[in-house]
Amino acid sequence: MISHKDSMRILIADDDEDDRTFFSDAMTELKMDNELTLFNDGMALMDYLSNPDIVLPHLLFLDLNMPLKSGFECLKEIRANQRFKEVSIAIYSTSSSEKDIEETFIEGANIYIKKPNDFTKLKKVIKEVMDINWQFHSSGLNKETFFFSI
Amino acid sequence: MKFVGLYKNSQVFKIALGIAIVFVGYIASVFYTQMRSLDSSVSLIANATETQLELEKVLSIISIYETNLRSFIITKDDSYLKNRFLRKGEIESNLKRIDKLVANNPARIKDVKRLKELIDYRFELFRETLLLAKSKSPNSLILNAKLQESNEFTEAMKNFVYKTINAEGDKVKIHNSNHQFELQDSIISAFLLVILSLLILLLSFNKMNVDIDELKKANDELKFLNRSFNEAEKIAGFGHWKVNLVTNTYTFSDNFYRLLEVEPQSFSPSLESISQFIHPDDKEYVSDMHLQSLKTYKPTSIMFRFILPSGEMKYVMSVGSFVENSDGEMVKTGVNYDMTDQFKRTLELEENNRELKSINEELESFNNIVSHDLQEPLHKIQMFISRIEAKENDALSDQGKVYFSKIRTSANKMQTLLIDLVNYSRTIKGDKVFEETNLNELVLQVIDDLSSDIEEKKAKITVSDLPTVKVISFQIEQLFINLISNSLKYCKENVAAQISIFSEEIEEHEIRDNEKVSNDNFYKIVIKDNGIGFKQEYADKIFILFQRLETGAQYSGTGLGLAICKRIVENHNGFIQVTSEPNVGSEFSIFIPKKA
Repeated sequence: MISHKDSMRILIADDDEDDRTFFSDAMTELKMDNELTLFNDGMALMDYLSNPDIVLPHLLFLDLNMPLKSGFECLKEIRANQRFKEVSIAIYSTSSSEKDIEETFIEGANIYIKKPNDFTKLKKVIKEVMDINWQFHSSGLNKETFFFSI
Repeated sequence: MKFVGLYKNSQVFKIALGIAIVFVGYIASVFYTQMRSLDSSVSLIANATETQLELEKVLSIISIYETNLRSFIITKDDSYLKNRFLRKGEIESNLKRIDKLVANNPARIKDVKRLKELIDYRFELFRETLLLAKSKSPNSLILNAKLQESNEFTEAMKNFVYKTINAEGDKVKIHNSNHQFELQDSIISAFLLVILSLLILLLSFNKMNVDIDELKKANDELKFLNRSFNEAEKIAGFGHWKVNLVTNTYTFSDNFYRLLEVEPQSFSPSLESISQFIHPDDKEYVSDMHLQSLKTYKPTSIMFRFILPSGEMKYVMSVGSFVENSDGEMVKTGVNYDMTDQFKRTLELEENNRELKSINEELESFNNIVSHDLQEPLHKIQMFISRIEAKENDALSDQGKVYFSKIRTSANKMQTLLIDLVNYSRTIKGDKVFEETNLNELVLQVIDDLSSDIEEKKAKITVSDLPTVKVISFQIEQLFINLISNSLKYCKENVAAQISIFSEEIEEHEIRDNEKVSNDNFYKIVIKDNGIGFKQEYADKIFILFQRLETGAQYSGTGLGLAICKRIVENHNGFIQVTSEPNVGSEFSIFIPKKA
């Protein structure tokens, strides 16, 4: 079992530079001892993950609308590969459309986060998501708890 | 009536006619045999009479002979003996005729044989007497004795002959009386025959008349039917055709030709002649389908194009199936109908459909723009606002702080509006899945989601006794979110908001769209608040898109919330009503059909 208490390896793929900055700023302000890696798009993320030498991340934040390779495509590819079965995936998108929520749920994402419009809220979201006991969360996963709300 | 029915039944009539003909045949054959026996009676009688006559002739010749002999004895004149041999010859020819006449009567043959013996003996006596008489000195005693003997023998012969003649006479008598009976029978038979034949003739004639009448009537009716069929063809715009598979002959109705815009029967019907009207691209397909069906007897339904002499194109549907005609020959029969208008309309409809689809797609992409592309920059504006507020707020002047908070309010308002627009467009879209939903659970979930707003307004919400209904879950959730938010938004200042949500019995007098609304077919759910309310006259206005009653800065409505509510309820074939009183509160009633 992966222990999250000490240090978590976190990846985020988002094509929006500002959103990446907000995210890393929030992490820094939270002063959590985490290892964060940023990717500019899905392609870069998948290239990184395809390297067999890397240590796998605990948690992956995935934006949906990205050029070259969308978050949805990344999700499918990752879930099709047994190697990544321990990786928790949090969808991190501006959209809150029923369609996106439903489809990512079906494809095996662990949680769906709508990007908060307030930096304080963003910090809160990140903190709460870090505190989730993923194994417990995943086993009791249903559509009601899938969409994350603070 | 029953008799008439039987009379009209040709089967019964045929049997009756058969019986009558057999009966007439029987009577005719009886009559024939009677006539035959009558004929034989007549010939028998004639035979007997002739036999009598001949016998009498024989007797008379013998008498003449005897007389001549006596005269010779007395006169000794030879002239009396002149015809002696001739007479004998005459008797012989008489006897020959008698032989012929009695040939069929064995008893009579015997009689004749005896007669011949008698005659021979008599002639012996004649000769002896003549010899005696011719001698120079005739012994008169012997001569007398011979004459005496001759005389007696003649008498005896006469008796014998008369006996025979009498026997023949008796036979004639019997025949005569029989003949009388037979004649009577024959007359009756003949009469019956004539009467029966007449009867049959009359019946047949009458039947024929009736049949002809009926045939004529049926014929007239058929003609009329044919005419109305032709008219119907004209009106309905279809043409009728048939193909006799045995004779390979084609028949086209008048309107078949009119559909081609040519004079009826202006060319002889055949596959080749009609093929010339078919669009070149369709020709092979049509004739292949048709000829194939003639082998399999499977019904056909072919759509193709005709090119009319005017160059105009016509879309035609040709439907055919197989039947056997009265001669047991297989016939393919069918109709062609003009589908040009229908086809064009379908094309138009398809075009419209495509347009609608593309409009829908545009709407969808618009929806995407609103929900995502517009939200993204807005999201960023809001994020930066929160960043500046957290980090740079102290650097702003007081005026700057005021302006800045106005920017934030506007950005928030814009976000609400965007969310409402997305929600509204979601109520229009097609994917509506109805599922059994426990409204109690659903409303409690909504209250949970709205908890921060509820806390802020210090509102008290009571939920009691809501049904489980088959609805589009996410829409009904949106409905309660909007209604509760609405009540929270328009609550009175300084008074704790009270919202109660409950289901209620429907009162008898509720009528909508001429349909009685009752507990049998509808659920009624009420959301009641103690807010600022409004004048009842605005009740309909509040459900209209972008219509707002309160525009004060403290009320942050978008004018979409209740319009969304109305749409959602209508999506469920229900309706929403509101009763309100200023400063007392509003009461929203949702009616949802029990059968979705």
